[in-house]
Amino acid sequence: MASLRSTSRLFAASRPFFRPATFARSYATVETGAPAEPPAKMKSFKIYRWNPDTPSEKPTMQTYDLDLNKTGPMMLDALIRIKNEQDPTLTFRRSCREGICGSCAMNIDGVNTLACLCRIPTDTKTESRIYPLPHTYVVKDLVPDMTLFYKQYKSIKPYLQRDTPSPDGLENRQSPEERKKLDGLYECILCACCSTSCPSYWWNSEEYLGPAILLQSYRWLADSRDERTAERKAALDNSMSVYRCHTILNCTRTCPKGLNPGLAIAETKKMLAK
Amino acid sequence: MFSQKVAQQSLRRLAVQQPLSMQWSMMRASPAAMALGKTVQSRPVTTSPNNEDPTSLLAKQRLNRPVSPHLAIYKPQIGWIGSSLHRITGVAMSGPLYLWATAYLFSPTLGWHLESASMVAAMGALPVAAKVAIKATLALPFTYHCMNGLRHLTWDLGRGLTNNAIIKSGWTVVGLSVSTALALAFI
Amino acid sequence: MASFARPSLLRQTLATRSPLLRQNVGVSQAVAFHASAKKQILPPLPQTIQGTMNDPVPVPSPHPSEGSYHWTFERAVCVGLIPLSIAPFAAGSLNPVMDAVLCSLLVAHSHVGFQAAIIDYFRPQRVPKFNSLCNWLLRAFTLTTAVGLYEFETNDVGITEALRRIWNA
Repeated sequence: MASLRSTSRLFAASRPFFRPATFARSYATVETGAPAEPPAKMKSFKIYRWNPDTPSEKPTMQTYDLDLNKTGPMMLDALIRIKNEQDPTLTFRRSCREGICGSCAMNIDGVNTLACLCRIPTDTKTESRIYPLPHTYVVKDLVPDMTLFYKQYKSIKPYLQRDTPSPDGLENRQSPEERKKLDGLYECILCACCSTSCPSYWWNSEEYLGPAILLQSYRWLADSRDERTAERKAALDNSMSVYRCHTILNCTRTCPKGLNPGLAIAETKKMLAK
Repeated sequence: MFSQKVAQQSLRRLAVQQPLSMQWSMMRASPAAMALGKTVQSRPVTTSPNNEDPTSLLAKQRLNRPVSPHLAIYKPQIGWIGSSLHRITGVAMSGPLYLWATAYLFSPTLGWHLESASMVAAMGALPVAAKVAIKATLALPFTYHCMNGLRHLTWDLGRGLTNNAIIKSGWTVVGLSVSTALALAFI
Repeated sequence: MASFARPSLLRQTLATRSPLLRQNVGVSQAVAFHASAKKQILPPLPQTIQGTMNDPVPVPSPHPSEGSYHWTFERAVCVGLIPLSIAPFAAGSLNPVMDAVLCSLLVAHSHVGFQAAIIDYFRPQRVPKFNSLCNWLLRAFTLTTAVGLYEFETNDVGITEALRRIWNA
């Protein structure tokens, strides 16, 4: 919807150049007179910029101004509008615009969140600052490199591991109570907001797995159908993988999906202590 | 629209031709024919077998990448500020304890007087304001670290791990530790 | 053709249409980013990725004495410290045995705490020599602290009593 909206706005903007005003709308309503435009609500957006084509130049903060009356309600709308109308070189990831793909994870006004789920603060006096996810290697502008994150995800074997076939040969059954344990875990979209908000992960991202991966790891530890729980626990039982977590709990605070990685890690530690 | 396109294409073709090849092609074909694309263009293409690892370019680009800002730009929140204070207060107590105990061990050889009697005498000689200040700076790390430690222990049991509880308990610890530290300082 | 001309055309139309936008469109200011310009204490190394993108990161071999046992021990020490740090306020000071227990728990707790800080900020994979230097320094200091506290407990009044006297001085 964000993209649709902005294109229609673009269209309206370029209207007088290409066609008479009466053809601009395909709907039956005919504009009789231009409605009085509300006063512009200009807001500044300071956005982190770095271009890999000029690697010797330091990252900069670039300011863009938008009229909030003409912008959609979400940060992603603002970013798309800046890219469409002001600066096509601004680079960021986005896909679903409804908080299910996790592509547009970034640091907005100091907190990691998904740009598509983050409302633009209507206070026009303060500027909004947008950075890529903290302490990540920047590919370009707001695009961080996620390679290590995905490699870590792969290392926890995020799939069902069973040696015995299911009793009826058809399904691996679970009771409703057992299934309930996976609520709040399976919804994770791996946007990396929590991992990159964790100071421990900032300092030790090479060895420490980080909240997102540990939540996924607990999702398989808690699964009643999985039969490799002992192996999974052994893989975590060292000083780095889990125990760099010092319950700072930035992860729980920042999760844009309202999940609780901090609780998942606490439960993992309890499981390991037994 | 069509005429525009044709003009653009012919212009491009003319521009592509080298002056030398232009002379050469002029002898054979008219400029009009060339503009319409009726001559055969020859563009020397150099290809070499690419034996290097295709990922090496990416590896080189990775070396240039900056690390995005972190501590300096993250919003100050009671959660992580409180947690860093926990470590700071811990080091602020254990560090002096280590230094003092080590110094006490070597004080006979160094000739320092770190026995309780001399420390009590030194403290007693100070004015009241200094006493209170010293007591407060000693007591605040202790009360904060103790109370936040209790908070950490409840978290390790898997309790109190909701956003609301984290924020509330964080501010409660700050308030309680400051007030108890002040109370201890004025004893 | 249309798509090729679009961005520039759009900018012109926008600029001519709304005078409010004109001042900002296309002339956004860039400001040097300060936080990255200042000297960092231990900056992260340039990015390197071990193996291909499809390889998982290596899984460390299990080491419970640095993992789950270590964690449980740490919590046990913390739980033990709670009554021992409250008791002096109730009783004024502790008897020598309790005082000795408090001292040993304090040393253990401090040692583990410093250890965690060393791994966090000077991890062996990044600065192996400095990490081991820190660890050996810590071990030496823990030893001297333990002996120093033992000396203080045996030759002097004990730490809770000493603190009480200093507080009342």
